[in-house]
Amino acid sequence: MSSASISTREHRERTLLVFFYVALTLTAVIWFAPIVMLVFTALKSAGDFAIHGALAIPESIAWANFSDAWETGVKDYFWNSVIIASIKVPLGVVIEAMAAFALTHIPFRWANKIFILILLGLIVPIQMALVPLTIVMNALNLIDTRTGLTLLYLGFGVPFGVLIMRGFFRTIPTELIEAAKIDGCSYGRIFLQIALPLALPAVLSLCILDGVATWNEFILAQIFLRSDELRTLPLGLVNFSTQFSTEYNQLAAAVLISLVPVIIVFLFFQRYFVSGMAGAVK
Amino acid sequence: MVSAPTSTGELRAAGPGKRLGWLLPWLFLTPALTIYGIVVVYPMVYSAYLSFFKWDGVSPTKQFVGLQNYLTLLLNDPVFWIALRNNAIWLVASLLLPTSIGLGLAVLLNQKFRSSHIFRSVFYFPAILSLAIVGLIWNWIYLPDIGLINQILGALGLTGLQHNWLSDPNFALYAVMLAATWNATGLPMLLYLAGLQTINPEVLEAAKVDGAGPMRRFFSITFPLLRETTLIVLAITAINSLKVYDIIYAMTYGGPANQTQVLSTWMYFMTYNYNSVGQGTAIAVILFLLTLIFAVPYVRIMGRS
Repeated sequence: MSSASISTREHRERTLLVFFYVALTLTAVIWFAPIVMLVFTALKSAGDFAIHGALAIPESIAWANFSDAWETGVKDYFWNSVIIASIKVPLGVVIEAMAAFALTHIPFRWANKIFILILLGLIVPIQMALVPLTIVMNALNLIDTRTGLTLLYLGFGVPFGVLIMRGFFRTIPTELIEAAKIDGCSYGRIFLQIALPLALPAVLSLCILDGVATWNEFILAQIFLRSDELRTLPLGLVNFSTQFSTEYNQLAAAVLISLVPVIIVFLFFQRYFVSGMAGAVK
Repeated sequence: MVSAPTSTGELRAAGPGKRLGWLLPWLFLTPALTIYGIVVVYPMVYSAYLSFFKWDGVSPTKQFVGLQNYLTLLLNDPVFWIALRNNAIWLVASLLLPTSIGLGLAVLLNQKFRSSHIFRSVFYFPAILSLAIVGLIWNWIYLPDIGLINQILGALGLTGLQHNWLSDPNFALYAVMLAATWNATGLPMLLYLAGLQTINPEVLEAAKVDGAGPMRRFFSITFPLLRETTLIVLAITAINSLKVYDIIYAMTYGGPANQTQVLSTWMYFMTYNYNSVGQGTAIAVILFLLTLIFAVPYVRIMGRS
């Protein structure tokens, strides 16, 4: 092959790539447009929105939208979500790590069957569980309570958590465990002093993925919470929008407030998102 | 204390509690299994049981009706078939759109260029939003007068193309699907990015030197090597698509005139709006069985030890 033909091919490849990247940038701009619209809407005053519509850049920044939204209920929704997530996530991670550890490093006959049973939980549509759960929760007086909802989240979170932690624990070489056993360590000590510290990145990933999922959860909250002051953010926002259906600027501000923690986590802990997801496929 | 080498399968933990060694894994498993059993397993089984009864959810008596609920759904309930059809449309669209877009994005973003991280964040961002919020945002985009889409169409002079997107039975489902795709593309993109990392770049370099263009390289080398990732992406996408609920609830509530019902929302209506628990749980069982079909490959891959 002459150097001339190599460079024409390279030239052609490069123009192809340039074309793709221009298309990529354009796509990214369109892709992000709804978010930009959301931000603009949240910053506009009601009059500005009615006159200029969704596309225009805000005339002036109406910070009041945020404080109004906060006062009219978002602050309750926000704190409910925070409380539930900050209890559910650590608790969930602990019990899921324990279960995953047993399934990977404690040899016993039922390990694989139990794992499959747990995995089935990922497949089950929540609708399959709703009616009996309502009965059980009613009997335990847990309907319309944050505790009740937290317990539900814990139960439904088991499959994913065990999946992620198991994926990670499988990468710990058995020789390490064996060596500890020979040295006289109980499984409890192995778990606490060897496996868990090694699994810190996976634990962090799970905390983040699970935290975001809990923050975003809608169905269970919708069915098992009734009082307005107990509502979590997604539920509260949907109700907010049916109540104040045309006050788009306030609604948009409310939505943005609810996105703040998620955005922070996303920006600063992005690699844990990615590695956590990768763990779901190993 | 050194324990003698044990035969495989025999549990012998060194240290205290040797005789109760068999109990050990169960101690680790109990908390998770207990809450999981109470919240997920038991209700599942009980739901299947309830599907054979006629019950309004409140009265103390239930009436055993055998397969009647299922028969009524299949033979007498037109909305059931609308819901099933919509699930099928949703499933096919999910298996085609977010997956291939995600793959394309992953391939493009896998090249190491400086701003790839920014692009990755931009494309993944909608995936971290609550589906209820995605529904709200796109509700506003689809508003007939001041929504983004109709405004842009108007600005381009295409007023003929403006529609009442969510109230028009011809467009409603697809409008919601577009919003869902916006959210659903992030995950396949991430999974494919992870999968692409496992491909040895030298193989691609060699192909490049041999004269293969980017398309050739992709279809002959990259894509075949992504087989397992693709299987997982498809399985996860299929399972998630059958479970769709939040976004339809938030955007159309099953309407207009039940045209955007899917099995999960119709189950909700049946159970909570019409108080027909037996039929509602029957729908849920059917949904579960359908999901199971797609879950088998996923479970089989993950269940390998």
